[in-house]
Amino acid sequence: MKIAYYPGCVAQESGRELDMATRWVAKALGIELVSFPSFSCCGSGFVDEANLTLNVAINARNLAIAERAGLDLLTICSTCQGMLTLANRKLDEPSVRARVDPALAKIGVSYRGSVKVKHLLEVLTHDIGLDAIRAKVRRPLRGMKVGAFYGCHLLRPSAELASESGEEPHAFEDLLAAIGADPVMYRGRVMCCGFPILFVKPETANRIAGRQIADAKDHGAHAMATPCPLCHISLDSFQNKAEAAVGRELAMPVFHLPQLVGLALGASPEELGLPRHLVPVDPALAAIGRPASSVPSR
Amino acid sequence: MAAKTISAPIEVYRYDPSRDRAPRYDRFTLEVEPHTPVLTALLSIRNQQDPSLTLRYSCRSAICGSCAMQINSKSRLACQTPIGPEIERHGRLVVEPMRNQAVLRDLVVDQSSFWQNYRKIEPYLKLDPRQPMPEGTPNPMTPAEVDRFHETPRCIACAACYSACPAVESDPAFPGPMALAKLYRFVVDPRDRATQDRLVRIQTEGLWLCLRCHLCTEACPKDVQPSERIRDLKELAIAAQGGTERGSRHAIGFKENIRERGLLQEMKLVRQTDGLAGLAGQLGQGLRIWRKKPETTKRPPAIEDLAQVETLYRELDDPTEGHR
Repeated sequence: MKIAYYPGCVAQESGRELDMATRWVAKALGIELVSFPSFSCCGSGFVDEANLTLNVAINARNLAIAERAGLDLLTICSTCQGMLTLANRKLDEPSVRARVDPALAKIGVSYRGSVKVKHLLEVLTHDIGLDAIRAKVRRPLRGMKVGAFYGCHLLRPSAELASESGEEPHAFEDLLAAIGADPVMYRGRVMCCGFPILFVKPETANRIAGRQIADAKDHGAHAMATPCPLCHISLDSFQNKAEAAVGRELAMPVFHLPQLVGLALGASPEELGLPRHLVPVDPALAAIGRPASSVPSR
Repeated sequence: MAAKTISAPIEVYRYDPSRDRAPRYDRFTLEVEPHTPVLTALLSIRNQQDPSLTLRYSCRSAICGSCAMQINSKSRLACQTPIGPEIERHGRLVVEPMRNQAVLRDLVVDQSSFWQNYRKIEPYLKLDPRQPMPEGTPNPMTPAEVDRFHETPRCIACAACYSACPAVESDPAFPGPMALAKLYRFVVDPRDRATQDRLVRIQTEGLWLCLRCHLCTEACPKDVQPSERIRDLKELAIAAQGGTERGSRHAIGFKENIRERGLLQEMKLVRQTDGLAGLAGQLGQGLRIWRKKPETTKRPPAIEDLAQVETLYRELDDPTEGHR
């Protein structure tokens, strides 16, 4: 399949390992990623707080770029997925159209509304399919207990996103099972990671992250996995702060979704950027009898 | 014609803090029709099996908002939640008190923090004292004006949103989704004369602690969509005051990042939100991350056709304009 690749900001900046892993997995599964250097940021759930109409227009421009190429759009971030889908929905409202369309006309852009915004999780579970993925698994993650962590904007508001279920999703767990891992069910999997207020009130954000990580750990998870690089910042890059906020050691490896798929399909830790994580992933690799990555993690 | 009955196992949270050392779960089995509401089942347990079971309820029609509780870990109205689909989806039915409020007994919680937060936003019209309205004078609104807050009057103050909220769970400074949604209702009411004052106050009283996780909107039985109303409030607060708080500076800074490069500029945004002093406070953490991810400090190249984005800003980013 061929799809417009919308990496989002973080995967091009501090979360580059997510971009590496996505490209590796896409190649292995025959997904052709078409890049567009003119894509802008989705607004990340912040720009709409300052100006909703502007944010919808920015994303209408992004969607129009994919539409002109006749492609649907692939996201690898729960927040990008949420914001671009929200723009698609808002553009169904005539009052929003009435303000956005004239602005788009000034830059010679029009958007009919035909582009489907699909997160990698959906592409893997629906377009590629779990059977096809199972058939390509070379090194199943047998023995690794993984707590999926969805990220709010992939799930909610479910009425707006028309997501499978804001409350009881299972696509991520199904995917984890297909690559041989043992999905762990815990309350925190559909909760917030704290990221949206990480720079507003860090101690509260860290406490929220710490709660979810502790919940996964208490349910026996060796690792967590997330389809959102913003959750990854909160859960991995700031895990030391989360540990301090909840007053216990967590030492929880946190994978980006395509990193785990890549591991099962035979990629090396280096190809997936695992040494870039702040929390070493080696204990999780040890749980599936894989050697530690050659580059030390700390 | 009666529907086929099912044998429903129900696990109910039991706790009397004055007597019990720890909560326990009592298991009851009931023969019920699948569409039977959880509340009806609980009342039947109380009437026929255990008169000590304690719960709040009144209207049984999703109007009074008394019977909010956790049903299979989700905050809902017991009178509005049929048993059959719950058992089908989860294989069990677990009934617990709401979260984020101390348990008084069994399914009854102490709602005082919820109501205190509500009172704090002063949920009543503030008219101009210098121009008191003569008794009996109508003060009409146009349909378009009413339409700006048509969701919020549906709120029945059941506290399901308060129970579902991770910001309430983690920070007592957050007033909760319902209080903020109600505040929005008064801020956009054209008759209210304290709009500006309300917006200024709430900025330092928890507005920017909302996580936008939308768990409140999922929990709300009346589709008030509190998370959307809080977003609306934030936009109004920025329009009124600009970037006076870290939260508003973060939103404005993000918007400026995109105008300049089309993309997020991670370090620059932290500086805009935190100020230089704040940045210095994060230095240790920044260095830790930078060692693994040196791109953090690099400025990303501008996107192609950035001029298009600049034009959209010129056309649509007029801070003096209303939002809805």
